[in-house]
Amino acid sequence: MRLIIRDDSDAASAYVANYIVDRIKHFAPTPAHPFVLGLPTGSSPLGVYRKLVEKYKAGEVSFENVITFNMDEYIGIPRDHPESYHSFMWKNFFSHVNIHPRNVNILNGNAPNLEAECVEYEAKIKRVGGIDLFLAGIGEDGHIAFNEPGSSLASRTRVKTLAYDTILANSRFFGHDLEKVPKMALTVGVQTVLEAREVVVIILGARKALALQRCIEQGVNHMWTLSSLQLHPHPMIVCDEDATLELQVKTVKYFKSIEKVALAQGFEQILPSKIRTGPAPETVIQAPREVEEAQSPTIVAPQPTTSRLLKASTPAAEYPVRSVSPDADLVPDRMASRIPDPSLTQRLTPGPEQSGHRVGAVGA
Amino acid sequence: MPSAIRPATPTTGITKLTNCRLVRGDSLVNGDIWVSSRTGKIVQSQRAFYDELIVPDETIDLGGRIVSPGLIDCQLNGAFGFNFSTLLDDTTQYGKKVKEVNKLMVQTGVTSYLPTVTSQTSELYHAVLPYLGPSGQQRLSADGAEVLGAHVEGPFLSPTKNGIHKVDVLVEAHSFGDLEAMYGQENITPGSDKPMPIKMITAAPERGAMTSLIPEITRRGIIYSIGHSEATFEEASAAVSQGATMITHLFNAMRPLHHRNPGVFGVLGKAESHEQPYFGVISDGIHLHPTTVKIAWNAHPEGFILVTDAMHLVGLPDGAYQWRNGEDIDHIVKKGSVLLLEGSDKIAGSSITLIECVNNFLNWSGTSIPQALKAVTATPAAMLGIQDTKGTLEAGADADLVIFSEERTESGLKLVVDEVWKFGARVH
Ligand SMILES: [Zn+2]
Repeated sequence: MRLIIRDDSDAASAYVANYIVDRIKHFAPTPAHPFVLGLPTGSSPLGVYRKLVEKYKAGEVSFENVITFNMDEYIGIPRDHPESYHSFMWKNFFSHVNIHPRNVNILNGNAPNLEAECVEYEAKIKRVGGIDLFLAGIGEDGHIAFNEPGSSLASRTRVKTLAYDTILANSRFFGHDLEKVPKMALTVGVQTVLEAREVVVIILGARKALALQRCIEQGVNHMWTLSSLQLHPHPMIVCDEDATLELQVKTVKYFKSIEKVALAQGFEQILPSKIRTGPAPETVIQAPREVEEAQSPTIVAPQPTTSRLLKASTPAAEYPVRSVSPDADLVPDRMASRIPDPSLTQRLTPGPEQSGHRVGAVGA
Repeated sequence: MPSAIRPATPTTGITKLTNCRLVRGDSLVNGDIWVSSRTGKIVQSQRAFYDELIVPDETIDLGGRIVSPGLIDCQLNGAFGFNFSTLLDDTTQYGKKVKEVNKLMVQTGVTSYLPTVTSQTSELYHAVLPYLGPSGQQRLSADGAEVLGAHVEGPFLSPTKNGIHKVDVLVEAHSFGDLEAMYGQENITPGSDKPMPIKMITAAPERGAMTSLIPEITRRGIIYSIGHSEATFEEASAAVSQGATMITHLFNAMRPLHHRNPGVFGVLGKAESHEQPYFGVISDGIHLHPTTVKIAWNAHPEGFILVTDAMHLVGLPDGAYQWRNGEDIDHIVKKGSVLLLEGSDKIAGSSITLIECVNNFLNWSGTSIPQALKAVTATPAAMLGIQDTKGTLEAGADADLVIFSEERTESGLKLVVDEVWKFGARVH
């Protein structure tokens, strides 16, 4: 787990936006090799969207070859209702950047068959090769997407009845009329989020402080669904100072010191380069990648491993974790020697047959 | 298949104007606007994106300039040397001339207007009105400004409030047949194949049986406007309750406001018995004192419409110009922007453009830019009953736009017409 703490919400949002832009640029997406981005709605990511738009307008990033999947959508309000998540995304992000509508995926809360819609959504994610980076926010009760307390941590995209508290909280967007607030939503599951190759969560403000504390200082618990992030190999939480109010001082100090050391050592990027450039066909990418890696130091260890719990239900097998680092001498020794994890010697994914499949798929 | 789709190469006819300050109601709102040259309309962008998977062919950054609905002039007697009250030997030339005016007119920011014919003989109305009907059916950007229909100002006017209209041609109407005979029956009867030429009639309600004819006029989809009238407050109120919804050049050619009888102006006062009518105001600095304009605005801002009442002499050099007035040929003397009837001190219309009227009004009233623009966009559109298609930037409306930059001058703020778009395509 990486926890990045910034003085205020602006700085935290800027950090996330910069991070996403760096990830996309390093990934160098093409039509055949798109970057797949998971996206949230709500107040927390607003600053991130604003900054992403600024960067697009400044010519720093293109979304031409980015595919997006949104987390959730209400059931039973018109798609173009001002409070729908389609409207939110259009207003705050899509209308300002060069993303193509065919690459935008949002659950259809007015689909004739909602269950089929959910199944198809999961299938669609699979068809594009999985999500490279899932950006998320959380609720005050630590819920991620509409996976409210008690949601199964193995849940997938499905129809969800909203908690009364959520309906109450949402009523401010519907003229404080509970009758008008949607009572159900479609949402990706906890498992859907965890299957992304990387998860970045932005948490802002004192109201989210308890949730943050429960999710990182305590155990994995379905009452705080974000805590499932502890099972993910590449999670990152970015928060402002206010959101750390419930954390122990030593937790805050610990994460701050890690960031400081990492910076001093000349790297910020914790991801294995396989994930940074995406699961593209080896043959195409191998040659240029060596050059890239020589320029950008990559941490070799601690190499994240996936928990058995997740492994059992298959997704872990889909994380492409690089087996050997070709540029060991660029990585600080002490960090590298920390974990002599046996799993690192095994290639987890993609297996040769999977790579082969991909090559075929791209050509199709 | 992991594959991102490239932006579609086939063209959609859609242009996205970004980084705009959009005139929305009484405010300027930062945002984008999508227009389609295919439909000629403003596009509901969110729907186009999600439903039709459309991306604009082109995105134009306006750098924060103002985007307003195209301007609407409800009283324009002529322009660029052509007077709509003209009888040509070869009437087919008349239609040609109107088309020429339309193309030039649009460059001034006026995207639709009512060509206005003053008090004339029946012969002239019969000859010219067929050429002054609505021109926008084809929705062609290249046609320039769109004629919304003719405004016939007269000849059912008061001989004592004639202004420069020839008294000889002024008549009374006693039945609707008199109107049909005067203008030509087909010009005042809604037909199924062709839109009816007349859109607005200015008449004095106290003359003949005019007040009783108002319901039949409005039933035919024609705006009845009170003007060139000696009407008392009571007579004007009666006209309003019969369906008059407009007053032609308020204060000019009517009784002045008197404290014991407020005359036509009085109907702008709030009353439960009737709706407050719209009213045209000429803010050229000659017809009305700036303070008078402000008083009119304050009396009923929602009804306030700026009109030019411009003559065909706009843009021509100073001098005396021939002018057909009724059966006579008179001369109008142009000196700067002042037009006088030769041998008198009577104001003979104006030679001002609509945006100059807006700029004058902006500086006299100190009102906001969107409020000033409303007087030449949303308000005239509402008066004409076309508020869903004109005078608004809402999706579904016609994509008639003016892009303004702002200039600071000695006399204050000035809006400058940078670009004009008609039916979704740039025409200037
Ligand atoms: Zn007049």
